[in-house]
Amino acid sequence: MNKTSLKFSIMITTVALAAMLAGMWLADIYRERDSQVMLLPDQVITLFPDPKPLTAFALTDQKNRVFDLASLQGKWSFLFFGFTHCPDICPTTLTVLARARASIAKNTAGAEDIQFVFISVDPNRDTASRLRQYVDYFDPAFLGVTGDNAQIGNLAGQLGAAYQVAITPGMENYPVYHSAAVFLVDPRARYHAVFTPPYDAKAISKRFKVVREIEAGHET
Amino acid sequence: MRWPHPDSVLLILALTLVSAACEEAGVSVRDAWVRETPPGTMMMAGYMELRNNTSRPQVLVAASSSGFENVMIHRTIVKDGVAGMVHASQIELTPNTSLSFAPGDYHLMLMNPKRTLRAGDAVVIMLEFRSGVVLPVAFEVRK
Repeated sequence: MNKTSLKFSIMITTVALAAMLAGMWLADIYRERDSQVMLLPDQVITLFPDPKPLTAFALTDQKNRVFDLASLQGKWSFLFFGFTHCPDICPTTLTVLARARASIAKNTAGAEDIQFVFISVDPNRDTASRLRQYVDYFDPAFLGVTGDNAQIGNLAGQLGAAYQVAITPGMENYPVYHSAAVFLVDPRARYHAVFTPPYDAKAISKRFKVVREIEAGHET
Repeated sequence: MRWPHPDSVLLILALTLVSAACEEAGVSVRDAWVRETPPGTMMMAGYMELRNNTSRPQVLVAASSSGFENVMIHRTIVKDGVAGMVHASQIELTPNTSLSFAPGDYHLMLMNPKRTLRAGDAVVIMLEFRSGVVLPVAFEVRK
């Protein structure tokens, strides 16, 4: 074997070895990614592989400030549709979400980049001051928003959040039907994932931690 | 001397009657509680664990309370991802089994509380059975 061919075979071996090592390393990363992805589509959360960007909408929060598409940018938003005359599922869900927020705040990444938004589909009874009283009780960090029916329908429609307000003349406690889901919108204002009941604060916090980590990984 | 609030007198009376009434009704109630709600909320929900201790079906037909304008038996139903409430005109308790009134399921819908209820308070709700028995149950207000 002459010098050139020896050099060549060393080079080939080195390249092969490097490729093998790189392959093992990549496989490891993918295995890790896989296990994270495997964790996600479960009873708690459904993660969308191709998050849909939301388009313009205009609502108002409990302090009469504008809540629109820009309000969703730069933060992870947990959105829940309901109404304050709701005796069972709304207080139950908001209690769990307040615990979930507290749990996420304990993670190293903290709660600076998250917001929880209660969207009333019953603007007829839920004024800004009523919403303020209501959301403050569960967590002063929560936002309570509503608006005219067309704008509520606009955002709800984009998220596939079905609702129906059965206003009946002369009936004080008219029935309201609303989606039981908690919608997760990412900091790029894309509909990223959805949580479905029954809710557990720890489970929401754990899944969110993984979603946030995966998304941070995609960005770098 | 400061007289006790009429509600507390009622409550003590109700609690004394509970054990006797339970036996008569053949139904026992455990863990009865009402969720504390934000100030100004006109709708509350009551939860409990009902048990039929007899070998006959027992039917809950109504509930009432002097603490609220109206009490109704409701159930939250989530259908195709949409939550709504249905009114249950009666609930049959099968012999020797328990039935839970729990968040997201059966609950007593408590409308227009007569006074503000805070965690730690108690409120008496009367459960009426088809047998004619009326069971007074003390519900604890919890966060």
